[in-house]
Amino acid sequence: MEGQGQAKVVCAWDEGAALEAQKGFVQPKGKPKTSLPALGWKDALVSYRPFLSYNELGSMLDEGPSKLYDALSLVLGLEDLVNAQATLAKSRLDRQQALDGADQEREALVELLKTLLERESDDRASACLDALTSKSWGLDAAEAVLASGALPPVDQDISVLTRALSLDPGDSERVGSVVGALRDADQQLKAVAGSDAETSRQLALLLEAALEFHAGHGDSDCPVCGTKAGLTQTWAESSRKEVDRLRAIASGSDHAYRAASDALRKARELLPPPPKLLAQLFEIGLDGLAAAREQWDGWHAGSTVSDLTAVAIHLETRHEAFASAIQALKKSAAAELKRREDRWRPIATAISEWILTAKEARAGAEHLPRIKAAESWLKDASADIRNQRFAPIADKAMATWEHLRQNSNVALGRIELAGARSQRRVTLDVTVDGIPGAALGVMSQGELHSLALSLFLPRATLSESPFRFVVIDDPVQSMDPARVDGLARALDETARTRQVIVFTHDERLPEAVRRLAIKSTILSITRRPKSVVEVRTALDPIQGHIQDALALVQTTELPVTVLRRLVPGFCRSALEAAFITVVRRRRLAAGRAHGELEDELKGAGKLTPLAALAMFDDRERGSDVMNRLNKFGSWAGDVFRQCKDGAHDEVAGELKLIIRDTERLADKILEFP
Amino acid sequence: MTLDQSALVTTARDLLERADPMTAGIWPRATALLARQALEGALDDLWRLRAPGLEHCSARAQLLCLPFYLPGDDKLAERVCYAWAGLSRACHQHPYELPPTSPELLGWLATVEQMVAHVRTLGASGSTRK
Repeated sequence: MEGQGQAKVVCAWDEGAALEAQKGFVQPKGKPKTSLPALGWKDALVSYRPFLSYNELGSMLDEGPSKLYDALSLVLGLEDLVNAQATLAKSRLDRQQALDGADQEREALVELLKTLLERESDDRASACLDALTSKSWGLDAAEAVLASGALPPVDQDISVLTRALSLDPGDSERVGSVVGALRDADQQLKAVAGSDAETSRQLALLLEAALEFHAGHGDSDCPVCGTKAGLTQTWAESSRKEVDRLRAIASGSDHAYRAASDALRKARELLPPPPKLLAQLFEIGLDGLAAAREQWDGWHAGSTVSDLTAVAIHLETRHEAFASAIQALKKSAAAELKRREDRWRPIATAISEWILTAKEARAGAEHLPRIKAAESWLKDASADIRNQRFAPIADKAMATWEHLRQNSNVALGRIELAGARSQRRVTLDVTVDGIPGAALGVMSQGELHSLALSLFLPRATLSESPFRFVVIDDPVQSMDPARVDGLARALDETARTRQVIVFTHDERLPEAVRRLAIKSTILSITRRPKSVVEVRTALDPIQGHIQDALALVQTTELPVTVLRRLVPGFCRSALEAAFITVVRRRRLAAGRAHGELEDELKGAGKLTPLAALAMFDDRERGSDVMNRLNKFGSWAGDVFRQCKDGAHDEVAGELKLIIRDTERLADKILEFP
Repeated sequence: MTLDQSALVTTARDLLERADPMTAGIWPRATALLARQALEGALDDLWRLRAPGLEHCSARAQLLCLPFYLPGDDKLAERVCYAWAGLSRACHQHPYELPPTSPELLGWLATVEQMVAHVRTLGASGSTRK
C-alpha cells in the first residue's frame, strides 16, 4: 500500500459459515491489524471499481442506459455538482411549498373571516380581511390589527361595547354626599332668608369710606346728607360696629348661596343626559337596554329641577334603580363582548400564527427567481463540465476498442453522457459497416464484451483511483481468437501503468500473451476433489510438460511401472506443443486467420501428422517424419517413437534420458521456420 | 512385469484423490494417461477373448465394434466411447484446452473401472468354459 509498505489481507470463514459471514482483516507489515473498511476505500471501490466480473462484463450494456451512465459518471467527481443541483432543487421546492401552503392557509382564513363578518360586524375581522385579501397579503397591517394597541374606529360594535363597560352611574356614597350638600345649602339659605347681603355689603363699603373720610378730616358735617356735625367720634364708634354687623350679614348670605349653587352643580353633574352610546348600543341590541334608557331619561330629568330639596329627593329616590339598570346594561355588554371575543380569539390566534409562517414563506420566496436562475445555470455548467471530464475516458475507451475490435465491422465513434435525471444515458455512436443504427442489437457477445471492457478499463485506470490494479474475470470467453490477440494487446497497454490480473479458463489468452511476448506471470490453478486447490507458476506448454514429467520421475509415491506408463505421455504432449507452436507461428506470420489455423491443427490429430505439418508444412508426409528426425541423430527418432508408443504402454529405457531427449528434440523442432 | 488393468485404474484413482504435493498440477493429465491405458488394455483383452485381431485395428474401428461385443449393456459401450474420447483429448496437447477437471476424470474413471471389471468377468467365465 502506498506509504505503508506491504500489507496482507486475510479472509477466513468459520466452519460451516455462510459465504457472506467472512471474517477479514488487513495486516500491514509492522503495524497493528486493521480491517478492510478502515482503509477508507469504500467510496473509491464504487467509483473506480477495479473489478470486472464476467457477470458485469455481460450485463454492463444490458442493464439500461442509466446504470451505465451512473457507473461511468461516478468517476468524474461530479458529486458536488449533483449535490448542488439537488440542494437548489430542494430549496426551490421547499420555498414554493411553503409559499403555496401559506397561501392555502390564507384562503382558509379569509373564508373564516367572511363567515364571521356575515354574522356580525367586527372591525378587527374586517381590517384583517382587507389585509389578507390584498395583493401582498397585508401581513404588517394584519399584525397591527391583532396587536391590541390598534384602536378600532368609534362606530364599531366592539368599541361601542367596550365603552359601555365604562359607563358610570356614580357611586351611592358620592350621591349621598351630594344629597347632604344640597340639604346643608338649603338650610343655610333658609338662615339668611330675608337679609340682603348686597345691600349690607354696599352699606358696609359706604360706612367704611365715611369712616376713612372721618379719620382723615376729623369731625364734620355728613358729606352725603348734609346733617350738621354728622360725623363725630361717637358716630365713628357706632358706625364701626355697624360695618362689622353688615359684613357678617353679607358673608353669611354669600356663603349660603355659594353652597347652594355648588351643591346644585354637583347634583347636575350626577345627572348627565343619556350618552350617544346608548343609541349605538341600541343598534347592537343588548338585554336591559330599554330599562337603562328609561332609567337614564328619568334620572336626567332631575337636572332641570332647581329646588335643592327636590333635587336631593330626586337623587335619593332614583339613584339605586338607575345604578342597577346601568350595571345590568354593563353586564350584558360584557357578556356580548365575551361572546364575540370567544368567536374572534381562535381566528385571531390562527391569523397571528399564520402571519409568522406567512412572513417566513414570503421571505423565502423572495429568493425563488434567483434560485431558478442558479438552477438552470448550474444545469448547463454541469453538462459542460461532465463532458469535458468524460472526454479523456471516452478517448481511452475508443482506443481500447480499436485494440479489441480487430476484424469487427462494428466501429465505435463518440461516447457521450447525455440527458439528466431519469433520462440520463450513455450514447454510443456505434456503426456497423458504416451504417449507424441499433448497433448494440446486432453486435455479437464477444463484441459486446469488448465494448464493455473498453468502457471499463479507462474508468478503472484513472489516475485519481487509489487502486493500481485491475482484476478482470474471464474476458476471453466468446471472443474469437483474433480478438484475443487484441485483448492481450489492450491489457498489455493497461499493464504499463497498472497491475492487470485476469482470470480465465481459456488457454488462448496465455497463448497469445506468450506468442506476442507480453511480459506476464501465468499461474495455473487446479482443483482436486474436495476443492483442494493447487497454484503453480505456469510455464509455456513445452516446458510445462517437461517439468511435469521430471516432477513425476522424482515422486517417491509412484512405482516405476506406473512412471513408465506416465512419463512418455507427458513427453509426447511436450512434442505436440512444440509442433503446434511452430505451425501457429508460421501460419500467423503469413497472415492466416486464427480460425482456419485451429481447424488445421485439429485436423492433424495424432503426433505423426502433426510432426509432418510442422516440419514439411504438409500433414500427409507422415512417412518422411522419422527420416527427417534421424537427421538430428538417432536419439531424436528414438525418443519420438518412445513418446508415441509409450503413451499407450510401458516404455523401456531410462526415463530421465527420455525426458532430456524430449527437451532436446523440442528445441530442435522450434528451430523450424 | 506389467501392471494389469485394475492396478492401473486404482493408481489413476489414487493420483486423483490423494492430495500429494509431489503431483500438484500434474495429476489431471497423469490420471487421464493411466485411465486411458487401462481402457485400451481392457479393450485389447476383450478382443483377444472375443474377436482376436481386432486389437490391431484403429481405435475408431474398435469403438464402432464395441456395442456388438457388449451385448445386454449398450449403455456401457456408449459410456466407454465417451470416456475414451475424453481421455484421449486429455492425453494430447491441444491448442487452447485446459486439463480435464476432477469431476470429469472421476466420471471417466468410473466407466473404465466398469469396463475392466466387465472384461475380467468375461475372461473368468471364458477360461472355465475352456
